[in-house]
Amino acid sequence: MQFESPLFWPAYVKEDILYVLDETLVPNKLKYIPVKNVKGAVAVIRDMKTRAFGQFLVVLNTFLLELNPKGDLLKHLQMVAHELNNSRPTFPFAEVTGIIIGVSQKASANNADIRVAVTKTVQGFLAGIRARRLQRVQEIADSMDDHDCILTHCNVSGELAMAASIALAQGKHVKFFATETRPYMQGAKLTVWELQEAKATVTLVPDNAIGSLMADKLVNKVIIGSDRSAANGDIANKIGSYQIAVLAKEFGIPLIVLTQPSKGVASGQDMPIEIRDGEEFLVFNGKKIFGPKVKGFYPGFDVVPHQLITKAIAINAGL
Amino acid sequence: MQDYKPNSICLFQGVLSAESLKKVKLIKADHAFVCEGRPSLEAGRKTSAIFLKKGITPTVITDNMAGFLFFKGLVKKVFIACQYADNKGALCDTGALILAVLAKEHKVPVQLLIAEHRTRFLGDPKSILSFEGQRIAPKDTHGYVPLVEWVSAKYLK
Repeated sequence: MQFESPLFWPAYVKEDILYVLDETLVPNKLKYIPVKNVKGAVAVIRDMKTRAFGQFLVVLNTFLLELNPKGDLLKHLQMVAHELNNSRPTFPFAEVTGIIIGVSQKASANNADIRVAVTKTVQGFLAGIRARRLQRVQEIADSMDDHDCILTHCNVSGELAMAASIALAQGKHVKFFATETRPYMQGAKLTVWELQEAKATVTLVPDNAIGSLMADKLVNKVIIGSDRSAANGDIANKIGSYQIAVLAKEFGIPLIVLTQPSKGVASGQDMPIEIRDGEEFLVFNGKKIFGPKVKGFYPGFDVVPHQLITKAIAINAGL
Repeated sequence: MQDYKPNSICLFQGVLSAESLKKVKLIKADHAFVCEGRPSLEAGRKTSAIFLKKGITPTVITDNMAGFLFFKGLVKKVFIACQYADNKGALCDTGALILAVLAKEHKVPVQLLIAEHRTRFLGDPKSILSFEGQRIAPKDTHGYVPLVEWVSAKYLK
């Protein structure tokens, strides 16, 4: 029986409310934030209560919450798309919202019911994505060999944990190293937790230890996710991914990336990289941790050029 | 990003001695960036304090942000804390190997500076499970914390 982490599908709609898993509280609490409108959706994205695949779910489901405005529905949905597109810069929100707006415009032009068209599209999309993600999980598990020691970074929204449980059921002995993934520590909080829940063997390491792990031959494979892909195969992923990729190449370790192919931008150079407020990691529990006058610099993502990627396990999100 | 010009960042890694940092001369256009140095954060704290005493405002980054700076062509020079060196390489505070490989890839010079102290090879595995005294990782998590690593001379040219 394969293990499904709550992170695999961290947002769902029930009775006109979108429930979003607050990933900042995992593993201490599994708490879902009720979201009633686009304003709430933008807040959970911007405050990083959800990320990666969770953002995708939030964006699509938000349109279901906004189908009964007082005025013109098409104009309203365009406003919803605009708000979502501007929530965070790196994830390609516009590629997702553009589909819904396209469907709405087409329904409007044909005098069809926009509500029905949008609802059918979102529900069809979500069902398709779920099936394709399950298929990709099987491919990830197939890429794991007996006695592999796999380094991973940040969190790949339940897919690695599910793949680990499949590999375990196949009789493969696979060990994992998870980077802490500062500053939000998604590796320490999310990845370690869900791999443990999947009964996998996992060891937590500081972000600065990846060189040691590779030089000492403690890992033989790297698997990471991606937030965005470019037409040439470059990807953007959590900050730290670039240096992992450079070192993996230097030490001859294959880098496997889970991707969502897109032709929205030509290369990684065209991807906007979010620069967040350095204070987010300089302050912990209300205290400055490096002294009062020190500045911080916080890029949220980096680009991994396609030349550094050994294998991409793609999912076609229909974008 | 527009705050930083290409080749304007001097990147400091490891627990550097005050004496060794005295030898570092920065020009006005340089920015001093300091890697925080998990798990203890000793590197980020001590190096920042030394810079502040010198009248320089340092910028701290987490240890996984160095690659971004190299990728953007912002790094001018790397300074790493070294506990021992010979003609085959150097024993450095963990994290040095990442910067040395990135420096080689991006053709950025590396300078070894004397570390403030020698450390054990391995740190307490529990030290990575918490942040500033607050438990982060789930119960029963295993940690692995190498404190030093060997940086081959081929990365230090």
